[in-house]
Amino acid sequence: MSTPALFAKTRFLEAQIDEFLDKVSEGAIYFQRGIELLLERGVVEETERKLEQLMQLKERANELRRAVVNTLYTEMLIPDFRGDVLRLLTHLYALLDATKNVFQELLIGYTGAIEGAEAIAEVKELVAVVAQSLQEAVRGARAFFRNPEAVRDHINHIRVYESEADAITLRLMKALFASDRPLERKLLARDALEVIDGLADRAEEISDELSILAIKRVL
Amino acid sequence: MGSLLFLSSGLFLGWTLGANDASNVFGSAVGSRMLRFSTAAVLCSVFVIIGAVTAGAGASGGLGELGAVNALAGSFTTALAAAATMTWMTRAGLPASTTQAVVGAIVGWNWFSGSITDLSQLSRIVATWVLSPLLAALFAAGLYRLVVAGIRRTRPHLLRLDANLRVGLILAGVFGSYSLGANNIGNVMGVFVPASPFQELSIAGLVRLSGEEQLFLLGAIAIAVGVFTYSRRVMTTVGGSLMTLSPLAALVVVVANALVLFVFSSRQLSAFVVALGLPPIPLIPVSSSQAVIGAVLGIGLLQGARGVRQIRWDVLGRIASGWLTTPVIAALVSFVLLFVVQNVFGQQVYRPVAYQLSPPALVRLAQVGIPTEALAMDREPVQGAVRFRGWLRRQVRLDPAEEALVLRIAEIRPVSIHAEGLRALEDTPLSPAYRVAVAALQGRSFLHPWQLAEALARQSPLWSLPSAAPVAAVKRQEAQLALVLDTFTAAPEAAGRLPPSPPSLASPQAEG
Repeated sequence: MSTPALFAKTRFLEAQIDEFLDKVSEGAIYFQRGIELLLERGVVEETERKLEQLMQLKERANELRRAVVNTLYTEMLIPDFRGDVLRLLTHLYALLDATKNVFQELLIGYTGAIEGAEAIAEVKELVAVVAQSLQEAVRGARAFFRNPEAVRDHINHIRVYESEADAITLRLMKALFASDRPLERKLLARDALEVIDGLADRAEEISDELSILAIKRVL
Repeated sequence: MGSLLFLSSGLFLGWTLGANDASNVFGSAVGSRMLRFSTAAVLCSVFVIIGAVTAGAGASGGLGELGAVNALAGSFTTALAAAATMTWMTRAGLPASTTQAVVGAIVGWNWFSGSITDLSQLSRIVATWVLSPLLAALFAAGLYRLVVAGIRRTRPHLLRLDANLRVGLILAGVFGSYSLGANNIGNVMGVFVPASPFQELSIAGLVRLSGEEQLFLLGAIAIAVGVFTYSRRVMTTVGGSLMTLSPLAALVVVVANALVLFVFSSRQLSAFVVALGLPPIPLIPVSSSQAVIGAVLGIGLLQGARGVRQIRWDVLGRIASGWLTTPVIAALVSFVLLFVVQNVFGQQVYRPVAYQLSPPALVRLAQVGIPTEALAMDREPVQGAVRFRGWLRRQVRLDPAEEALVLRIAEIRPVSIHAEGLRALEDTPLSPAYRVAVAALQGRSFLHPWQLAEALARQSPLWSLPSAAPVAAVKRQEAQLALVLDTFTAAPEAAGRLPPSPPSLASPQAEG
């Protein structure tokens, strides 16, 4: 590959990776907005539109991931890091996929699982914290590409958000099981809380991956 | 054709150098698949040739000062001894450097021919063996810090960094190849320079290649053949190095290696250092493999305890032991091979050089400030520099520089300028303007080469160079004088037999 072609290809790939990370980040926003709508207004057209948007995002992210990995391997770029990049993009894509799946599940099977103004406010708080952990995972991945020294900060933020999400979930569960709601409603609400909290756990898994990659990348 | 046959050992040495040392400049780029082998081989070959032809004379001259192998069969045997040592040591799994093998082989030739091994030059060469890896370590550590600081400041994307590294590896490989050609051509062809079979060649009146440059071109082509035919295997298995390198560290190692080779071959840099009031840089072929090892070590040590743990110290120990074993083995092999070539194949492996303190030599010595009172006039020529130096030391104690001057002035090479020789001179590339000055000396005889040089300088300003003349002009003048001497000299064996009778060997000094 000639030098100008190499730089053009590099710029194109950089743009594709950035777009992929944008999609994962947008996914976190749509997820948060979607849950808020679901809690406030139930299953309405706008809520379903959020699921549609998440699905489109996932599709585009998948295309981008495949394109990036294909180019990395066919053009033999970053020989010592392409395996790591492949793994990182796969994990982030899996996170976006899980985000969409969680929203889809809540939309279909858990409508009305969370009741009461106080509980709804707390679940919104939980979703905000989970969305933050997803955003930090994206920021950590961006830092891996441009500024590996900063990855550590993002990893730390993800861990803080994850434990914060655990704390909110625990508090909600205690309140839930202390209430006089029917058991099946309690179990339904518990499952809803667990799947939301599970996203923060997945973000934490990415942070573990990122911490190893950052050590390799730091000069 | 016979000359080319004698050059074959040098070409073989060139081939082994190309096969092994190309990996020092492009190995990491090809090994990490950042660059295709074919691209690396073409770039390496082209720039090795450019470096060798345009800047090879500096480091090659450094070897010449250690010992001027003055017969083609001797050059052949010396290069063969170095190549054989390299091959044997490599096959035995011992680390060997071409530079050290060549130096050992030259010392073996000096030993066999009774020539003096310039100990000060030898110590300078040995010092560079230690200095070049140290310098490479310093360059590598400094460069690594600099590059890392730059990357931390600019924070390039991983992909952009990768693209920059690729371009950097190509540029560093090109610079490394140029420096390898400029520095290491001395190893390959250095021993053939004093006995070069080539005359100056003009291509369409545009490009003029001296005999030395033609030798270097041939040697560089041999290196290029080595790169194309055998270096791929070495480049793609760079695993056995001291420690695992990242592409960035590999780039720094290649640049540090190229800088070290450049430092020890650039006449301009040496002149610049002298202008700063510092001692000149010895222009000597250095081992690129050892420079690479030094550079890797420099980066390793920069990383502190973690880096030190990664270094394979046993490999380093074996390399250091090679500094001693390689030259010693090469010197022994050279001595034995010279004996065999001379006595079994009946080839002249050295031209005997005789010395005599004739009256004109004594006058000349007095003129240049050597105390001649204690020097007895020597009626008989003494064969061999070592024997003459021994005789001289029994007469008077001089410092090494004065001793070297006495040897130069006392060297005898009787020449008589005669019509037959002048006709023979017309078939040589010596230009007519120069030949006129030689013809003007017809009928005259000279005992010492410097007498002929002075007589020619008196005949024509063309033969007289100012003291500040460029090195290339001095070299050309020396080659032209050697051509005249070769044309008019009596048979080499006769040099020792000629009676050193001053009246019969009229010299300008004696005449004056």
